[in-house]
Amino acid sequence: MNLEILLKEHFGYDSFKIGQKEVITSILAGKHTLAMLPTGTGKSLCYQLPGLILSGHILVISPLLSLMQDQVEQFKRFGEKRVVALNSFLTQEEKNSVLRQLKKYKFIFISPEMLSVPFILRKLSELSISLFVVDEAHCISQWGYDFRPDYSKLGDIRQKLGDPLTLALTATATKQVRKDIIQSLSIENCRKVETTIDRPNIAFKVEKLAEYHDKQNRVVELVTKLQKPGIIYFSSKKLAEQMASLLAEKGICRTMAYHGGQDPNTRVLIQQQFIHGQLDVICATSAFGMGVNKENIRFIVHYHMPMQLESYLQEIGRAGRDGKLSIAILLYSPGDEHLPIQLAEGELPSEQQIDWLFSKIEQEVKYTDGNLHLNNHLCELGGFNEIQWRILEELINDTPQNNRKELQKTIQLFLKKRLTAKMNNIFHMKTWVESNVCRREFIMEYFDDELTNKVIPCCDQCGLQLKDYHSSIDHTKTTTNELSWMEYLGKILMKNELSE
Amino acid sequence: MKQIESISLYCLKKLNRERTIYSIYHLLNGKKSSQTIQDAHLFSLKHLFGIYDTLTRESFEIIIQNMIKKKWINNCGEQRFDLTPEGEVNLFHSNIPSFLNGWIYHQFTNDFWERLSLLVQVASNFVNHENQYIPIQKNKDVHFWLKTILKEIQVPRLEMGSMLFSELVDCFKEAKNADPSVLIFRLTGYQQIGLTPEQTAKRLNMDIHDYHIEFINIIHYLLQKINRETKNFPLLSLLIRDLKQNNELTISSRKTWTLLNQGYSLERIADIRHLKLSTIEDHFVEFALHINDFSIDDYVEKNLQDTILEISRQINSRQLKFIRDKVKTASYFQIRLVLAKYGER
Ligand SMILES: Nc1ncnc2c1ncn2[C@@H]1O[C@H](COP(=O)(O)OP(=O)(O)O)[C@@H](O)[C@H]1O
Ligand SMILES: [Mg+2]
Ligand SMILES: [Zn+2]
Repeated sequence: MNLEILLKEHFGYDSFKIGQKEVITSILAGKHTLAMLPTGTGKSLCYQLPGLILSGHILVISPLLSLMQDQVEQFKRFGEKRVVALNSFLTQEEKNSVLRQLKKYKFIFISPEMLSVPFILRKLSELSISLFVVDEAHCISQWGYDFRPDYSKLGDIRQKLGDPLTLALTATATKQVRKDIIQSLSIENCRKVETTIDRPNIAFKVEKLAEYHDKQNRVVELVTKLQKPGIIYFSSKKLAEQMASLLAEKGICRTMAYHGGQDPNTRVLIQQQFIHGQLDVICATSAFGMGVNKENIRFIVHYHMPMQLESYLQEIGRAGRDGKLSIAILLYSPGDEHLPIQLAEGELPSEQQIDWLFSKIEQEVKYTDGNLHLNNHLCELGGFNEIQWRILEELINDTPQNNRKELQKTIQLFLKKRLTAKMNNIFHMKTWVESNVCRREFIMEYFDDELTNKVIPCCDQCGLQLKDYHSSIDHTKTTTNELSWMEYLGKILMKNELSE
Repeated sequence: MKQIESISLYCLKKLNRERTIYSIYHLLNGKKSSQTIQDAHLFSLKHLFGIYDTLTRESFEIIIQNMIKKKWINNCGEQRFDLTPEGEVNLFHSNIPSFLNGWIYHQFTNDFWERLSLLVQVASNFVNHENQYIPIQKNKDVHFWLKTILKEIQVPRLEMGSMLFSELVDCFKEAKNADPSVLIFRLTGYQQIGLTPEQTAKRLNMDIHDYHIEFINIIHYLLQKINRETKNFPLLSLLIRDLKQNNELTISSRKTWTLLNQGYSLERIADIRHLKLSTIEDHFVEFALHINDFSIDDYVEKNLQDTILEISRQINSRQLKFIRDKVKTASYFQIRLVLAKYGER
């Protein structure tokens, strides 16, 4: 069977991207596979294509609802209609209807919490599952930056489904995390496909500024000179907005802010405008980037320090997909680490919140089937966010509950451990910022990867000319001749007449 | 002078000092409370009902503050205002967008826009033989609507674009004093992404509030025109077919909803429908549960709402009896409303 022909016929691509073929071959040979391929290399294809060959169903576990919707849309665009997403977006009615005709669907995307519903698991175990895919598999590990407790049950679930052929996918995972993935899924004998995480065409630069306040002017300078398009990442919505207004006011580029606080319609428009070249720069929070497949992004500037090297790598990895020279610049001023520390603490419930919760549970004294019933209204009252609440639910359901003091201690201990892991990550990030060694080598070492080729230009430590990344053409804004509304309407609705 | 200011002056004048400025805010927001609905009828402000549902309280207060500073309006106590002579002159010289018809159209405005923008995007991509693109509207109902009408449309796919173009241009011909730009530049087509409201306002040099009002004005214009001349607009008329409302409600409570929207009080509705008061109360609890913009403020004072929530929190119970024991001033109906509106689902 010729994989290239399948690739061309079904997906219209001429060749495989790095790593894809190895993963697909390994799967088709019936080997459990752990694949670590950089974001944007097309990990989805690694199960999409085998799906054309394998006779049974492909079950894909994915942690994020929005990601799942994107995937389903993408499948449909490729003409694959036998795809469904089982998640909390569905109404009960829709869910029932999907479950009734589950056999119909070749590709079943499912969120981990759905998988732990016994009824659903039973339905799934009636199917013949050819491939069990764990997307974003680093969520399994407590050492990963994005640990999800419900991911840690996937090993059990796999067993219950009869030890199906398994593919674990991730973009960035340290050695420790990879080990956790393999152990947790018990796929010890798996084949590992790990392409280098190095992106040779992206150079690194850390700029240290004496004062936090200097950043704003520096960004204006950088954006003026650097070749566009580019993304500026912020940890705060407000700052992203302010910078976008400032850049627009000064007429430096066509730019918009993008963050989770905007209404979804606006977000879609801004993302699409950027992809279609109607915007040069996006001032974004980390909410931006998922599903943005834009080839020619030339720079990624970080106004704030991310919370871990993994996210940093993901974010800068959006640059230079076309292989051309691109640059990642991180602005640092003394004390910058306080913000990520604050954010890390905010992500976990505080000790006080847990104490409060247990005092409430004490009063509630509600045992259904002998177990503690965690009433959802406590979530809002206690000021827990959705992720925090899910973590707590998992912990409480998973721990023997005969002793509540014990349970409380377990939870406190767990949270301490998580906080330590997060602090550790921030510490590594900061060490990277402050280190005097080659930035690329540092990162490679962190991920136990090996730098095979020394690239030039590499990073500010190895020597780097910022002007190599400057825009060659004087970027006087091409003021598109303003169309009248009728011309605009004609342009989009009538092919050859009013346009051109 | 800004459009939103003319509208506020217009409302103040009509209210004739009998209501606070916040009744204007609720009116523009389209608050589904009997007070606001009655006001809309009583002061002949129905056409402005719900024309600005995204206006925030803060923005509204800034608008009012500015008019105070400019000495167009005078505080006459208790959040009530009347117009100064200068305010009167300004109002006299202003024109309120003439197609606004909030009372009838506010509940269809958004659906209509979502349908129109998706239809245009699809037609544009047909014309360009493109079938891989990201739909700009995410609402599943709109996608479902589109699927249904695509099956029905007899026009060849390639010609849908030019047909839609002529219908729209035709439709706008009589749109006096309304600029179709406010709507057209927001449309997305093949490899051409539409502008956001803020971007369009900037491009047209408009204040964002004025922009919003003009946008609603032109949508209401389209709704009216298409409605009246269905035959002339075979494609566009598909946009208004079966625009539906509040499908979460039971049939009986939907009738109650209709009456409430006509401004009848709870008691009157029970009377008219020959139903027990408690049944109508059940309907209201349903509204609190399912209709986001149904406000319970008319039935439970803000303070009392807070107290009920706080108690429910403290004693950690949604049991009406327990809560009632602690808040003697609240009726069971009030407690149910508060829990339905703000309690966990
Ligand atoms: N062999 C290929 N050649 C060209 N483009 C590809 C190939 N495989 C995948 N793609 C495209 O790459 C993009 C990223 O794919 P995705 O699976 O979302 O990446 P990842 O999950 O690794 O971040 C998609 O737009 C996909 O269509
Ligand atoms: Mg992916
Ligand atoms: Zn280097």
